[in-house]
Amino acid sequence: MLIQFLLVLAVLGVLFVFVRSSGAVYVQASKRIALVLFAAANIYAVMRPDDLTTLARMLGVGRGTDLVLYALVVAFMAGMFSFYQRFRIVDRRYTELARTVAIREAELVNRERGVTTRPVVSTGEGTPVSTRDR
Amino acid sequence: MTDDGRSGDDVWVVIPVFNEVQVLESVLDQTLAVFPNVVCVDDGSRDGSPAAVLRTRAHLVRHPVNLGQGAALQTGLTYARAQPGARYFVMFDADGQHRLEDAAAMVEVARSGAADVVLGTRFADGGASVPLLKRIVLRTAVLLSRAGRKLKLTDAHNGLRVLTRPVADDLQITMNGMAHASEIVSYLGHSTWRVREVPVSIRYTEYSRSKGQSLLNGVNILFDLSVRQRGG
Repeated sequence: MLIQFLLVLAVLGVLFVFVRSSGAVYVQASKRIALVLFAAANIYAVMRPDDLTTLARMLGVGRGTDLVLYALVVAFMAGMFSFYQRFRIVDRRYTELARTVAIREAELVNRERGVTTRPVVSTGEGTPVSTRDR
Repeated sequence: MTDDGRSGDDVWVVIPVFNEVQVLESVLDQTLAVFPNVVCVDDGSRDGSPAAVLRTRAHLVRHPVNLGQGAALQTGLTYARAQPGARYFVMFDADGQHRLEDAAAMVEVARSGAADVVLGTRFADGGASVPLLKRIVLRTAVLLSRAGRKLKLTDAHNGLRVLTRPVADDLQITMNGMAHASEIVSYLGHSTWRVREVPVSIRYTEYSRSKGQSLLNGVNILFDLSVRQRGG
């Protein structure tokens, strides 16, 4: 059936985008466009349920609500992946923060313990990790 | 310090520590006898490991929260890089599974200028000392990674590594958890650093076995690596 083909394609597409995505601007933009389109489609589906059922029939699905359910599964997966990536970026910033704090404190502590032979001039600065927004 | 560095002043040993109090002090005492500069990164241990470090001459850096082994390694490298005269960086495990003789030999290889990065390998002799199941998984891991094949590595997940200064300056470990080993291999595969493997042996003691990562963890590692931010 057509719907099976489309669903498998959508799931593979989501996987591909999130494994290969380079963080380019277009990825961010397309995520937002997809969100708006999804919302618009939802409103349309609520307002004109008969159209939805017609579309579902064309795709080989029994009812319109089933089609909505399938779309929801794909959207949920995409959302989860997006959230996961977002989380990784936040995690990276958090790590960088904790590291800076740890090193700064360690330089004081180790100097006090007398294990450092020379005065340490570093302030624990490193190259900031790129944590681009998307 | 002096430039010939025979005293080992230019070598920094980075040891990530997470709940290792049982063996930590003896491992540190032995390590400090060979390498004078040791930095322990305590990754939020709850068993008194930091106190054990403080009883020795090793430097201590404490993560305020648990971040993972990869993060601890990177913190140790960042700290050691800021120390005057640091030129060689040794990554070493706190559980006593690595031998100091191996580490010293690897530093000598780096010092000779033959390589920018020296990695330990358990498989130079076919890996007879490695438990069978672990051997199969580790070999598969190397074969699966493109960078590992390109570098002709035999063991991508050995915790014993020696970096020279330029490599340590350039490397940024972003995989906080256990995936950092694969991340380092992948980084090396994409770089132009000269990588050399040196045979080492691992002491699979009861203790290190109990601390060792479960093979199921490989699933987590694969997932993290495949969804990580590319080119970031």
